[in-house]
Amino acid sequence: MAFDIDRYTATSVGVQWQDLDFEDFKTNPLPEGTLRSLRYMADVEYHTVCYLRDMLVTPSHKDADVSAFMTMWNREEFWHGEALASVLAAHGITVDFDELKSTRLKIGWKDRLDPIKQSLLGNIVGADFIAVHMIWGAANEWSAIAAYNRLADMENHPVLAELLRRIAKQEARHVAFYASQARERLARSKKARVFARFALSKFWGPVGSGVMEEPEVFHVMTHLMGGADGRKEARKIDEHIARMPGLQGLKIVETALKTRGIAA
Amino acid sequence: MPEHDEATVDDLNAPAPDFDVRAFARTAAGSHRDELDLTAYVDAPLTAGTLRSLAYLRDIERATMSHLRGILVTATHKDARVTAFLTTWAFEKFWIADALDAIIEAHNEGETVPETVIRTHGERTIRESIVANIIGVPMTAVHMAMGTVDEWLMQAAYARIAELEPQEELVRTLENIISVKARQLLFFEAQARYRLLHSSRARSLTRRRLRTTPWPIGAKAQPKSETDFFYSELFRTSPETVAMLDSRVDTLPGQADLRLIRKATS
Repeated sequence: MAFDIDRYTATSVGVQWQDLDFEDFKTNPLPEGTLRSLRYMADVEYHTVCYLRDMLVTPSHKDADVSAFMTMWNREEFWHGEALASVLAAHGITVDFDELKSTRLKIGWKDRLDPIKQSLLGNIVGADFIAVHMIWGAANEWSAIAAYNRLADMENHPVLAELLRRIAKQEARHVAFYASQARERLARSKKARVFARFALSKFWGPVGSGVMEEPEVFHVMTHLMGGADGRKEARKIDEHIARMPGLQGLKIVETALKTRGIAA
Repeated sequence: MPEHDEATVDDLNAPAPDFDVRAFARTAAGSHRDELDLTAYVDAPLTAGTLRSLAYLRDIERATMSHLRGILVTATHKDARVTAFLTTWAFEKFWIADALDAIIEAHNEGETVPETVIRTHGERTIRESIVANIIGVPMTAVHMAMGTVDEWLMQAAYARIAELEPQEELVRTLENIISVKARQLLFFEAQARYRLLHSSRARSLTRRRLRTTPWPIGAKAQPKSETDFFYSELFRTSPETVAMLDSRVDTLPGQADLRLIRKATS
């Protein structure tokens, strides 16, 4: 089914949590490992604007639908960051803008070159590059949904679970956009299929890798994607990707887990 | 306060301390559709000139993503407070454009309006990215000053449209839009003044950039005929507005006597 961009923009809201009883965290606090994963997730949500930048450097933003989507998507993800930051705040952990800034500063020169590299590539292959961004976005959103739902299941904390499911529900709308765009664009162009396959297998990394410190990536991947159940979730993401035109057989998430030595 | 020619980002983490970015995000102005009384235009339709001005402003408000791209490829994207602001700013502009679109559509019942083509140049962004990253942090001052001047100009344009065609419903909507933009201006202006005051490099870079920018921001991607119309209709007819805008730019540290709006109008 085609994605209805007007409906999406008209119903886009910041995730709500004011109705949830965060006082519950005082008597029923979350364990340290979970807080560490939540911190990672909050940072990644806040850093969405950096991904937005990478997207905008290529011709993707010339498309009015893509542009409208990006505006709302970027804002929803910011609110996910705010929501997770208040869970952390209920545990005495402060996430402030200055700290986020220092994380972005640490990324350094490599990050500065990235948009240039992407822009050059993007402008060379033109419209076909949009397909790459769309499947990239879909892979990241599928990963996010899996991570939020898995954490909700594992932790079994009613307040946290409700918040995470609300966030996951919004991410599902993002997937709907990215996946429908990707499917259509990949189906239309062989060049897009070849390029997407190449880009995903060569350059894709788990959401947040490249921005967050590697030990943090390892912790989150082990926490949420480790063990038999975690691996099952990872495979589900790969299956979603592999169902896209020209991407049969790709196992980028499972490969990322194996590369980091995370046991199934 | 010491002069920071090579100020680092950390020296500059306090601009606009009174502007609560989180509160701004929380109370962002979304869709205006529910407040629009489009039936008011059935009895009192707007003139073709007003509709043409509104269409121009809609396209300018809608080109936010192109402008954002230019900003995000520079050191400015590292500043999480600025990016949090820009996230909400883009959202509000999207809905301002949507409100203008609704008014225009109410006059074009049954007609299909062609999609606006957003034009940008990849090569320019690459050059911008390289140059701006060599410059580094003072670029944020440039972006904040550009935002300030643009808000002044756009608010004046909305006010001029209301002055030229004081149709009750239109005036109500334009006042609403101006109030949304007035809050955005608070952030841009406080950031710009602080950053310009503390860096002579920021002042000279900003001066150069303000002078070479086609105003309003995004005009570059619009047909020249429409930008010409914007100035002749709204500003050439009001020299006092032009003078007021230029005197405001004069008050930004190091930006006196640029006469940006007079030049754009002539």
